[in-house]
Amino acid sequence: MTTTTPHLKRYQARFSQWAAQGRKAFIPFTLLGWPDKATSLEVVQTMIESGVTALELGFPFSDPASDGPVIQKAAMDALENGFTVQDGFDMLREIRRMDAKIPIGLLVYYNIILAQGIAPFFQAAAEAGVDAVLIADLPPECADEVYPIAQACDVELIFIVSPLTSSARLKTIERYAGGFLYVVSRLGITGTDEKTDTHLADLILRLKQETRLPVCVGFGISSPEQAAKMYQYGADGVITGSKIIQIVSEATGVDRKIVLTSFLQRMLNDQ
Amino acid sequence: MKSLGFFGEYGGVYVSEPLMPPLEELEEAFLHYSQDKAFLTELHDLLTHYAGRPTPLYHARNLSEAWGAQIYLKREDLLHGGAHKTNNALGQALLAKYMGKTRLIAETGAGQHGVATAMAGALFGMPTEVYMGAVDIARQQPNVYRMKLMGATVHSVETGSRTLKDAINDALRDWVANSRNTHYLLGTVAGPHPFPTMVKFFQKVIGEEAREQIQVRAGRLPDYVVACVGGGSNAMGIFNAFLQDDPTQLIGVEPAGQGLETEHHGAVLAKGSLGCLHGMKSLALQTGDGQILETYSIAAGLDYPMVGPEHAHLQAIGGARYESVTDEEALQAFGELARSEGIIPALESSHALAYAKKLAQEVPKETLILVNLSGRGDKDLLQVMALGENA
Repeated sequence: MTTTTPHLKRYQARFSQWAAQGRKAFIPFTLLGWPDKATSLEVVQTMIESGVTALELGFPFSDPASDGPVIQKAAMDALENGFTVQDGFDMLREIRRMDAKIPIGLLVYYNIILAQGIAPFFQAAAEAGVDAVLIADLPPECADEVYPIAQACDVELIFIVSPLTSSARLKTIERYAGGFLYVVSRLGITGTDEKTDTHLADLILRLKQETRLPVCVGFGISSPEQAAKMYQYGADGVITGSKIIQIVSEATGVDRKIVLTSFLQRMLNDQ
Repeated sequence: MKSLGFFGEYGGVYVSEPLMPPLEELEEAFLHYSQDKAFLTELHDLLTHYAGRPTPLYHARNLSEAWGAQIYLKREDLLHGGAHKTNNALGQALLAKYMGKTRLIAETGAGQHGVATAMAGALFGMPTEVYMGAVDIARQQPNVYRMKLMGATVHSVETGSRTLKDAINDALRDWVANSRNTHYLLGTVAGPHPFPTMVKFFQKVIGEEAREQIQVRAGRLPDYVVACVGGGSNAMGIFNAFLQDDPTQLIGVEPAGQGLETEHHGAVLAKGSLGCLHGMKSLALQTGDGQILETYSIAAGLDYPMVGPEHAHLQAIGGARYESVTDEEALQAFGELARSEGIIPALESSHALAYAKKLAQEVPKETLILVNLSGRGDKDLLQVMALGENA
């Protein structure tokens, strides 16, 4: 296990730096190994070059029950193209070499972790340069299985908060949560959708009062306009996933980099 | 939550945050109404007058003669709807009504649970939507039509392996979006707590009846209780009453498909490893990387890469043992019951029968073997006809 020396964790450093500059965080998501390893690395490189706040990267899983159709299909495609967990860690290592400072979050389903063993998984993640892990199907009630190991490896855990999360649940989540709070903007699955929950403003307001962590909103945030609304509500940042998969699916070759860069720039600059 | 629903190291509540509040609400309602006299009286009334409980216990004399042990069949095939699934569907739909939910969703494999949910939806006047894998829709057309006749909407699930596991994924996605007004009527003793405990509660009537009936009919407890296991609800339903009876051995029968040595089976307890899917920790058929494998069985209702957590636990502590039979053995038992007793069993239940036959050949003739005949085979006729099996 990595020896822990007191230092400012990457998320903490990055969020306070951006907040000091009056900027909102923009965190793009993509699946590692999708559509293939080389393209996937190129997509992440484009994200880094565009100057995004942090990266949220997923390991493809056969049964992504928390994801919408776009990410489901991408996961299936990546697995059909031969993605392995070993590939995933190799890619993460390479991404860490591209940028020593950018916070890297890894999104996985719990089964992938159990298959490796919890300790070997977190050791591999730490060694590859991962700062935080979001386990899509691990609620705080069961987090004790993972938390001490993650801590020993100096990897934070990111947790989801939904419009249904009570203040009592939020307290439990806070005991384990690091990085930022990942707020799902609506109760649907991930995907690009123009509708946003009307209770969202109240939720973000409540979270800002009740938590010490930065509050970032994801699920269905696909345009600068939607992001601006979240910032108005008080969010510290947004996460965009399905839209990026869609952009990469629809563009090819040199075009892909141009189209993706332009989207990322708009999300970063039209605040 | 009041409990995390662990059975040893299996079970638990492994879902994304948006599902936790609806599960807390469901647990609270279940704990309350499962003790509530009005609720239990209404359920008992439905089970008796609508569904036809108690179901008979039948001593299959011809089969006993042919196989060499005393075979008793618990006739869940005679329950309204044609399978044990009705017990659970009525129980949960009634609970949903008491909770003020106005819409039901369900997953289905063979279609029996979808049919049972569609029945309950019609009965309680609740719009019902059933998720069913495209592969299962193709092989279970009669059940798809039955669901539609009773007013349910059937969604064809085109993702993943397009079978039961993918139908559960889609039902969970629906529930996340609609939990405020919708009850997810999960069909087996799997999924996140409180489902395994709750479904067992609604299915345990099978064993309670059978335990009493066999003592009246045969004068003693059975030596063996045999039931097929996919998710495991009919098995849990009949096992539960005998768990404390030392002399009675409990045997769950999994689908060996084309053989345990091939990749084409669904024998999770035999071949699976610790995994987490559909909100629970249990055994799973998966790759070394933790990707869930596609399973195979001639019986759509057994075609599932996980198993109810309590079965994984019972196997671990030796409370029950688990065997498997192939498609071919199940098909043979299917034909033998039809010819010798005039009863056409479901292909799922045929797995339990096929193992009972093997067992009968190894034990003294007076041995009592209680088989849970969990469903009838009408739904399987087109599939069996297509295989060219003749009577």
